[in-house]
Amino acid sequence: MDQTVGTTGFGGAGFGSTGVLRSARFRAEREADWRTLEKLVTEAERKGLHRMEFAAARDLAACYRRATTSLAIAREISLDRALLDYLEALTARAYLCVYAPQERLGGLVRRFFTASAPQAMRRSWFFIVIGFLCMGLGALTGYLLYFENEAWYFVFMPAELAGGRTPEATTGYLRSVIYDTNPDQSGLGAFATFLFSHNTRIAIFVFGLGVFLCAPAIILTFYNGISLGAIMALHVDRGLGWDMGGWLSVHGVTELSAICIACGGGVQLGAAILFPGAFSRRAALQRAGRDAVKLALVAAVMLLVAALLEGFLRQLVQDMTTRYAIGWGVGALWLTWLLLAGRARA
Amino acid sequence: MSRPSLKRSRRRKDRPSPDTLMSPEGVPLTLRVAGIGVRLSAQIIDVVITFTAVVCVMILLGLLNLTTPQTLYAIGAMAFFLIRIPYYIVTELVWNGQTLGKRMLKIKVIGHDGRSLTTHAVVLRNLMKEAEVFLPGTLLFTLNAATPLLSLLSFGWIVMAFLIPLFSPHRQRLGDMLAGTHVIHLPVPVLLKDLVREAPAKTAAGGKFVFLAHQLDHYGAFELQTLEGILRVEERQMATATYNHHRKTMAEILEKIRRKIGYADPVRPADHPAFLKAFYAAQRAHLEQRQLFGDRRADKHHAVAGNKR
Repeated sequence: MDQTVGTTGFGGAGFGSTGVLRSARFRAEREADWRTLEKLVTEAERKGLHRMEFAAARDLAACYRRATTSLAIAREISLDRALLDYLEALTARAYLCVYAPQERLGGLVRRFFTASAPQAMRRSWFFIVIGFLCMGLGALTGYLLYFENEAWYFVFMPAELAGGRTPEATTGYLRSVIYDTNPDQSGLGAFATFLFSHNTRIAIFVFGLGVFLCAPAIILTFYNGISLGAIMALHVDRGLGWDMGGWLSVHGVTELSAICIACGGGVQLGAAILFPGAFSRRAALQRAGRDAVKLALVAAVMLLVAALLEGFLRQLVQDMTTRYAIGWGVGALWLTWLLLAGRARA
Repeated sequence: MSRPSLKRSRRRKDRPSPDTLMSPEGVPLTLRVAGIGVRLSAQIIDVVITFTAVVCVMILLGLLNLTTPQTLYAIGAMAFFLIRIPYYIVTELVWNGQTLGKRMLKIKVIGHDGRSLTTHAVVLRNLMKEAEVFLPGTLLFTLNAATPLLSLLSFGWIVMAFLIPLFSPHRQRLGDMLAGTHVIHLPVPVLLKDLVREAPAKTAAGGKFVFLAHQLDHYGAFELQTLEGILRVEERQMATATYNHHRKTMAEILEKIRRKIGYADPVRPADHPAFLKAFYAAQRAHLEQRQLFGDRRADKHHAVAGNKR
């Protein structure tokens, strides 16, 4: 009865001279190393790899490689669940520290505005042109249809968007809306209302729905263009064309461009699905997404600026010429940024 | 990023488990994919956090007299929108793939290929979250019975957004697929003590349990590790009733083992833990040695499986 557990009739090859299991010795010899790795991993997760001392970062990588070796061996020689679970967890966590550290965040916003966004816009100029074409052709259609028959106006224009500006309204009323010196909303409230108005929703949808083979994005933009054309035609019909143009210019140049750009992004996504080229559809979508997301972000920034213009500036400026100057001036600024920013210095 | 289309035709069972990730060292690592439930919970925590922030901002604006009852709703919606989107993007950037909710539930976004999260991926997956869930969600709230078609559409859209992860092996939603990311459980390394490193188990009288080789041929790794789990229960603190229940389970297990391996001597109740520990040590030594010789025994059916082959 006084035998050790090891000598149970099969030679005891799994035991060393101390009478301990091979896998237990394996663990005992390396446990200190794993504990070190555990500490380093915690430190790396807390501080970030690039803020660790050189020696610690070097040790982390070395310890991690030893731990993966230990894991590979342990899977072969050990049946100790505790050891296997621990090593699996430790190496996985250390892997994330070593191979998937945090990317540097410095200058992220600046880089977006000075380089990556305008570059992405220039790369996808074709899709943006498609966006503008959709809107422009829609506007032309709406304009011509209105002059063909006024009844079309009610077909295209949602009642809440028209806000009483229908062919039945008097010219005086139309003028009063354009030169409204005493609006019921101003400042922050108006800003918020305008931001969440019709056009922002349209911009979000034309971008998001572009994935469905482009069609929803193109149709929505075209439809938006039609209502734009129709309302312009109504005012031109009453001899208020230039005044309406000024009223619309203040924010519209920025806002409608944002919709066209969002449409361009959506069409880009849809085109990747329709024509994936040499890639699988998912890979093509991922590639297209790199630029399309930047277009969406640019459109979002433009919508914010448009809401600022609409909420704070439009009611302040009642002069038609100034309205044109502001609207198209801002538009020119956008264009300059798009064309010139982020070019490599010669 | 690009995947040769030939790979697609591989049969399903040939694919590696979604939980494994091949490290550059050539050792497959385990990063368990997080399920829908835990991700939804993290999401709810995040929504609660952002919503609380919005309420605070609204109260502040109200105190500054910047809101009127007419604009309250619009400003509130704007604040939620303007706080929510940056919140997700900034937290996931700063904490490398973890929002506050994800930190609490110990899950993390990683690149699908196991590399660092790019800014692009973080922005894309969170913008898509807006398009997938939040926008149709708010639309669903604001719409009424007058527009059943739109309500149905946005409802169907949300249902689709939740169904897609169910059919993806990595539980990726649309945004994850586009950004090339998926969400994992952050593994927690806890090293429990080695059961065989303790002093050799002895009977109350000081004797030792001896097992013969043929007695150790019955079980495989599964049974061994189940026994390990039972033995580790003793390391925990527990109430008397639970402890008694545990002792009863041990007695039953012990009887089963004794009958199966043909261990003739009776074991006194006081010796039950010692017997099981001794059996665990002997069984593990035996199985590990068989494994070294290329004879992996997954469970007690190993003999049958071996004969079939």
